[in-house]
Amino acid sequence: MKKRLLEVRNLRVGFQTEQGLLTAVDDVDFTLECGKMMGLVGESGCGKSVTARALMRLLEQPSGRVLGGEVILEGRDVLTLPLEAMRRIRGKEIAMIFQEPMTALNPVHRVGRQIVENILLHQEIGTRAALRRAVELMEWVGIPAPDERINDYPHQLSGGMRQRVMIAMALSCNPRILIADEPTTALDVTVQAQILDLIKRLQKDTGMAVILITHDLGVVAETCDDVAVMYAGRIVERGPVGTVFQAPLHPYTKGLMSCLPRLDHPPKTMLPIIPGIVPGLRDLPPGCRFASRCPYPHGAEVTTNRQPWRECGGGHGVEACACFANTI
Amino acid sequence: MSLLTVQNLKMHYPVRSGVFRRARQVCKAVDGVSFSLKEGETLGLVGESGCGKSTVAKSVVRLLKPTAGTIHFEGQDITRSGAGDLRRFRREMQMVFQDPAESLNPRHTIGQILEEPFVIQKLGTPAERIEWSTELLRRVGLPEDSTNRYPFEFSGGQRQRIGIARALALKPRLIVCDEPVSALDVSVQAQVLNLLLELQNDFKLAYLFIAHDLSVVQHMSDRVAVMYLGKIVELAPATELYRNPRHAYTKALLDAIPEADPSRRRERHLLKGDVPSPINPPEGCAFGHRMRHPRWKESVGIDLTLRELAPGHWVQPCPCCVE
Repeated sequence: MKKRLLEVRNLRVGFQTEQGLLTAVDDVDFTLECGKMMGLVGESGCGKSVTARALMRLLEQPSGRVLGGEVILEGRDVLTLPLEAMRRIRGKEIAMIFQEPMTALNPVHRVGRQIVENILLHQEIGTRAALRRAVELMEWVGIPAPDERINDYPHQLSGGMRQRVMIAMALSCNPRILIADEPTTALDVTVQAQILDLIKRLQKDTGMAVILITHDLGVVAETCDDVAVMYAGRIVERGPVGTVFQAPLHPYTKGLMSCLPRLDHPPKTMLPIIPGIVPGLRDLPPGCRFASRCPYPHGAEVTTNRQPWRECGGGHGVEACACFANTI
Repeated sequence: MSLLTVQNLKMHYPVRSGVFRRARQVCKAVDGVSFSLKEGETLGLVGESGCGKSTVAKSVVRLLKPTAGTIHFEGQDITRSGAGDLRRFRREMQMVFQDPAESLNPRHTIGQILEEPFVIQKLGTPAERIEWSTELLRRVGLPEDSTNRYPFEFSGGQRQRIGIARALALKPRLIVCDEPVSALDVSVQAQVLNLLLELQNDFKLAYLFIAHDLSVVQHMSDRVAVMYLGKIVELAPATELYRNPRHAYTKALLDAIPEADPSRRRERHLLKGDVPSPINPPEGCAFGHRMRHPRWKESVGIDLTLRELAPGHWVQPCPCCVE
């Protein structure tokens, strides 16, 4: 029996700006099961990071706020918890790692101290025990000579090592959910492979669930169990990685997959493209948001009416826009 | 005849430290790189960050003055050319940069940006320049009325098109593309790659195409050179390099690329460690040293100049990394 760990229902997040209220995340639904790794993919500005920050209640203040929806973590709605209770969840139940570990780590404190800080915040142990735990954690995430590295400042470490420190810090309290927001985007491919491998190994060891946010479909295909594809603030398709990559339904998902250059393709041939650019948040239609770039013939009504969600079995669901719904 | 020939290019920087800022160490950013490029051809350059690919790019267009080695463009030695000569050569060779937001002057309109090459080269009348720049915009697929707008009004992909239009302005024969799509989203990346291929066809452009994404480089290139720590370790036709990599580093790079196909998920042979620093690099084969290869010692002191193993397939003859 699969256990639902986190349920996100109809999440809407907006930002108050000079141009009025902009809705960055509009009606996002997904479920995260215990021990699963879910990929959240999409292009920049599609709302994937905002979704993650909303789960952690770390939206940029004062402009960002949750406009509606629920985030249920084991029966509690995270979004309505008092701040004090939320602070106990953050880092302990849900931990997060970020894209650029140099900006997420404090440059003037030694990395050991930064790991210890989190441990002391959530666990009732002494400083000395916390330090020992920090060394153990650093060893666990594959940092060589951890008892020396613990006294290093972030700038003394390489990008890959800094990301490992971030991971050690995030895992210091055995969280049940790890949100990794583009954890490997700033890293080289060989180091990226190391970090992804590490996250998978740690996930197996601890049984935690992972939400992996990325723009790289390759990363999702290689590491995740499930995937949700976001476009302009909405999830347009979601399901098990195998199904979605093998038989994508939404034209956006199809387009994304076909426009990637692949190593086994003949070089110097034209790539299939998705024409146009992602629409701005100010001029999003209420209906299908991909319509302006969609290769399928469609009537005007698909942009004016919200297109229904359809479950296609096996956990595979898609925003069934009228332009392709009859082919499913 | 080759359009561009680079021979034994070296770019060394002194690393100063201490009270008297003495140069105590040398950073060998590029250490003996040779390649050539024909008209209409694309040479891809891949490698991890810090391997010296951008330094090669900047040396080729002579934004940097190489420490040693020679660069011949259209048969002429430009390694030591002064500003006047270079201005003439830069009509023929241009550059497209990684971050279009930072390589376009935010206070200039698109028209000013595109006319600037003509102004610098003293070409045309003001009216002609306007005409040429609208033609450029049309060529790269931007609306012609963009001339009065500013860079911030455009998306990343459109800005990169502006950067490409500027590089095209003087009808160059060589364009050095330094990570032209790494700041772009996948759907836009394909558009820009297609544009570059189209332009190459139409104008017989040669590209030196630099990227860290091996699948992008493979897609764009006729030949690919793999760089590691300031040196080319393998150079081969694109398909040959992918099908039959010979150097252990190339194999590792290919292996690390995540493929967007879950059915081909596989056990990967992970590289350990990080890219070493080019300051005081190890002797012999740098990659064998990183891998702690048991036969690394054999590579110390031997000549590691590229050798041709198969037609057009050049590899560093390193005893530990090449079987």
